[in-house]
Amino acid sequence: MSENRGSIKKKKIGVYICHCGGNISDYVDVEAVKDAVRDHPGVSLVKTTMFTCSDSSQVSMVEDIRENGLDAMVVASCSPKLHLMTFRDVARRAGLNPYNYIQVNIREQSSWAHSDHPAEATDKAIHLVKAGIEKARRLGDLNPMEIEAVNRAVVVGAGISGMRAALELAGMGTEVFLVEKEPFVGGHTSQWGKVFQGEARGDEIVERLYNEVRTRENITLFTGAGVTAVKGNVGNFEVTLTLQPRGVKERLTEEEFAEAVQACPESVEDAFNFGLMRRKALYDRGDRSFPALQAIDFGACTQCGKCLEAAHGKIDLEQPEETITVQAGAILVNTGFDPYEPEKGEFGYGEIEEVITLPQLERLMELQPGKLVWKDKEIRHIAFIYCVGSRQPEGKNTYCSRYCCTAAVHAALRLGENYPGIKTFHLHKGMRTYGKQEVLYDEASRNGNVFLQFAEGTQPEVRKNGQGVEVRLHDLLTLGKEIEIHPDLVVLVTGMTARNDPGLVKTLKLPVGADGFFNEVHMKLRPVETVMDGIYISGTCQGPKNITETMTSSLAATAKANALISKGTISLEPNLAVIDEEKCVWCGKCDEICTYGAIEKVKKGDKEVARVINAACKGCGACLPVCPEDAIELLGYTNEEIFSMIDAIAEEIRFKEKHKVEEEVATPAATDEDWHIKVEKLDEKSKKILRTLQEEPRAVPEIAGETGIPVKEVMYRLMSLRKYGYVKDTNEINEDEYYTYALSDMST
Amino acid sequence: MAKVNPDFSETLKDYGAFDLTACYNCGTCTAVCTLSDEENSIPRKMVRYGVLGLEEEIQSSVDPWLCYYCGECSTSCPRQAGPGELMMSLRRYLTASYDWTGLSRRFYTSKIWEIAAIMLLSALILVLFLLFHGPMTTELTPQGGVQLNTFAPWKRIETGDWIMAGILSFFLLSNIFRMYRKIFHGPQKIRVPFRLFFTQLWELIFHFLTQWRFSKSTRTTRIGRKELKISPYWVSHWLLMSGYVLLFTMIVVFLEWFQTDIIHPWWHPQRLLGYYATFGLAFGLIFFVYGRIRRDQENNKHSHYTDWTFLVLLSGTVITGILVHIFRISGLPYATYYTYVLHLMILFPMLMIEVPFSKWSHLAYRPFAVYFNGVRNAALKIKK
Ligand SMILES: Cc1cc2nc3c(=O)[nH]c(=O)nc-3n(C[C@H](O)[C@H](O)[C@H](O)COP(=O)(O)OP(=O)(O)OC[C@H]3O[C@@H](n4cnc5c(N)ncnc54)[C@H](O)[C@@H]3O)c2cc1C
Ligand code: SF4
Ligand code: SF4
Ligand code: SF4
Ligand code: SF4
Repeated sequence: MSENRGSIKKKKIGVYICHCGGNISDYVDVEAVKDAVRDHPGVSLVKTTMFTCSDSSQVSMVEDIRENGLDAMVVASCSPKLHLMTFRDVARRAGLNPYNYIQVNIREQSSWAHSDHPAEATDKAIHLVKAGIEKARRLGDLNPMEIEAVNRAVVVGAGISGMRAALELAGMGTEVFLVEKEPFVGGHTSQWGKVFQGEARGDEIVERLYNEVRTRENITLFTGAGVTAVKGNVGNFEVTLTLQPRGVKERLTEEEFAEAVQACPESVEDAFNFGLMRRKALYDRGDRSFPALQAIDFGACTQCGKCLEAAHGKIDLEQPEETITVQAGAILVNTGFDPYEPEKGEFGYGEIEEVITLPQLERLMELQPGKLVWKDKEIRHIAFIYCVGSRQPEGKNTYCSRYCCTAAVHAALRLGENYPGIKTFHLHKGMRTYGKQEVLYDEASRNGNVFLQFAEGTQPEVRKNGQGVEVRLHDLLTLGKEIEIHPDLVVLVTGMTARNDPGLVKTLKLPVGADGFFNEVHMKLRPVETVMDGIYISGTCQGPKNITETMTSSLAATAKANALISKGTISLEPNLAVIDEEKCVWCGKCDEICTYGAIEKVKKGDKEVARVINAACKGCGACLPVCPEDAIELLGYTNEEIFSMIDAIAEEIRFKEKHKVEEEVATPAATDEDWHIKVEKLDEKSKKILRTLQEEPRAVPEIAGETGIPVKEVMYRLMSLRKYGYVKDTNEINEDEYYTYALSDMST
Repeated sequence: MAKVNPDFSETLKDYGAFDLTACYNCGTCTAVCTLSDEENSIPRKMVRYGVLGLEEEIQSSVDPWLCYYCGECSTSCPRQAGPGELMMSLRRYLTASYDWTGLSRRFYTSKIWEIAAIMLLSALILVLFLLFHGPMTTELTPQGGVQLNTFAPWKRIETGDWIMAGILSFFLLSNIFRMYRKIFHGPQKIRVPFRLFFTQLWELIFHFLTQWRFSKSTRTTRIGRKELKISPYWVSHWLLMSGYVLLFTMIVVFLEWFQTDIIHPWWHPQRLLGYYATFGLAFGLIFFVYGRIRRDQENNKHSHYTDWTFLVLLSGTVITGILVHIFRISGLPYATYYTYVLHLMILFPMLMIEVPFSKWSHLAYRPFAVYFNGVRNAALKIKK
């Protein structure tokens, strides 16, 4: 990378002014622009072209560069969004460093914006091109940064999403460390029986993925493990994994296990069954345990040792916690969701026995295949209440959880199939069985399941009624009548919530949304990337998804990750911040403001200074203005380059200003009275601002606070007041470290 | 507060409804129904009540009676939920729910009950004839006709008629009273100024005589190239209805004049009225039976067994009635006697079962529903 800071150099610059068919030349006099810049310092060649981006034009540009030995190039045409890369490529083909190319946008900014004022449009174009030339005079070579990348990924979470990602990466030749927090893989999908859509069962899907994961040599699975620290950056993360003891060294036979479980005195609520039953500290998930090795829940185990005898040495209560560190080029986060847990008393949950959640119903169906019984009563009528913990008018859970309408309808269909005679009522807020899932809704409604709809802003009421329970709602579909149902069971169709895992969020430094889910960079254009280069999110840790959607996003993340790290090196844009270590005093302000964690503190001789971690810096420039020592520069946008551009644009304006001032000077000297007359001409808001400054200098937020004018507006009004000499900078900062402004000398 | 009965939609299937839970509340049915208006929005509301099993609401509603089953709604329903047939089944259900004896529900939901009742009542007629018939003389009248009044003296038959009419009226009127209670004292209590029952009385009579709403509901039909503006359903129904009422009146009130041994000339009012009534009945019957066999329209596609019972009994009555007349004037004594007994063996169960407990009760419930509805809407208007 060049250490060039953009000082002026003797350069031969080629300038091309494009007609863009007529898009530009219909309003901007391109020939006039050409004439105006021909003699500008540094310019050695100016041409106008009909379509600069055309092949023929590109070819002749390459020739121009070679023949004339040009060392910078300016194209005045369309937006750089369109053709920056095109002309950088032209430069590269001609052997010129592509960062010596400047694109000036005189189409959107001149011809299209000012098509009613062609003369002014031309004038503006001239200034813009001159600014481009000035910048070009100061450019130095920049080279994309190449950093090394380890072709290995850490996949966090071994639900279906994590396992799918691991398999896919492994298949493409990337080594994978798959890290699962629980002793068993599969996440929530392993808890479900038949899942929509199709015939497959949730646990079967998990089993298939797991069996495949086992056969892959380049996947290492850690269960009972978590990511506890991440250092380094894209291409070369240093990931610390903490491995919890499992307590079971070798699989206990069925008899041993039964006996040891019998002996274990400690029991806890069984989370796998959503608290429908309890389990011992020594446990597994029956034939749904992947891996099929039992585990000890050390949160519940008191290490009493009562299980040891039955286990014949296969249990080790003394296993230590371990930590290991691995190098990885990318990290894929697939930590999934948690079902919404209703508050106590929310629709009677936790208070009325007959109220359960959809996840609990799913488990109940798995546990009771023949006959559905709840509290000793055979269930005949079930009322489902939708959108519990989703689509709430305010708070965190304003989103729709996507999976649940279909899951509830699907549950109703399976209830009908497996337990003939059960009738269900669905109290919803507008069904969302989108896409192909609609056929399930269709089927369910034809099969005699009844749908009722409550209005936005109203809610069904669940009450105890003698021995049973009653549900009331105003049903939109029955003329808003109040309807009363007496079901045997009320099922709350609970949504998805983000996992409550602040440790992980902090370790990965990933942004989370107001809803608690991890945020992608751009929902549409970059849906699985995060602001942290090399860290990807997919599956339900990103937002509610069903299985299909989970898989899709997970495949997208693997494609992105593999493309990034499999080449061995990663090339990064060279437009980075650089810190002048001489000037830097380590105040830490840049570190505070940088959202990408790209600043590190290093020792330089006997002082501490800030240094930019090149691989992490995005060149956003946020750190520049906060540095009190002005120690930071942004390559490609150095202070000198930017000032030179401003000067070029302001040149004419300054000239005009000067005339104005001269005219004013020619009139009798300014007096107090003139000042007042001048102020009188201002509008109310600007007067208000001036009034606040009468006592003493003030900063923008203070002025905004006193006048009630929004900060932004205060800012630009101040700028123009300053420009026309009403106020001046004090060059001092107040206690809150804001610059202050004072009335200009004219006023005194 | 409306309480849901989860098993109601199953119950309703016994009364002929099908697939009603397929309804997804689009409201197309109500939009296309020519009889639906602001005051009585049909049929979606009733479909919904049926799906949820809001029995009290249904029982207190007149709406099912306001539908004449043109079938337009069923044809338009995007879910084939059969709203028209649902309205039909609700009429059956309402008939059963007005009836305090519980027999109506039995007849509608059990074929065995219905057939057994018919057999029993037929047998009763047979026994009565065996016990009380007059001499079976083969001697003919001077005009060559059979002496029917010797075998079955009109006085005796008339006594029986009056007893039967008394029983029929008792059941029917008591059921209409229950209908009134349910409509005006159901969950939606309305205070009705008493005078409205008089001012709206014209509706009862007018609709009984004309079935005017029916004429508005049913589709006009295409015959050849021409669009027939008058509905053939309404015409057939009116012919059938008028024939029936005429005959019933002649049998019960004017039997002496109607069942005579004299053979009047063809233009005599006794014969003309008899022929008209027979024609009306026969025309209507042929029209409706043919339709139910063809099953080409929504309103004849789905026949409940009670529909067929009614049509078969009525056809039997008409055919035997015609035969009695022919045999009598042709001077065939035995044929006349046996056919006469058979005629009554069909007629009697038909009237006893159909009029108070089954399909034919609609001849009272429909005009009463229109009448009650008029009273109710007038009362609601005053309240506003
Ligand atoms: C009641 C119910 C029924 C459903 N039915 C269907 C259906 O029929 N069809 C359908 O398509 N979808 C269904 N879904 C949705 C389906 O369950 C999800 O789409 C799927 O489970 C998402 O998978 P995942 O891997 O993203 O998340 P998860 O299943 O939550 O898996 C995440 C994994 O990451 C692990 N993990 C979490 N945090 C960490 C950490 N810090 N470190 C390491 N590991 C961690 C977890 O232990 C877990 O194993 C249903 C959901 C519910 C609630
Ligand atoms: S999917 Fe359905 S139940 Fe779930 S939040 Fe969305 S609308 Fe509510
Ligand atoms: S330019 Fe942006 S990303 Fe780079 S160090 Fe400064 S604030 Fe961080
Ligand atoms: S048209 Fe059919 S689906 Fe629509 S509301 Fe009527 S019965 Fe229901
Ligand atoms: S059958 Fe005809 S009259 Fe009856 S509800 Fe349907 S559209 Fe209306």
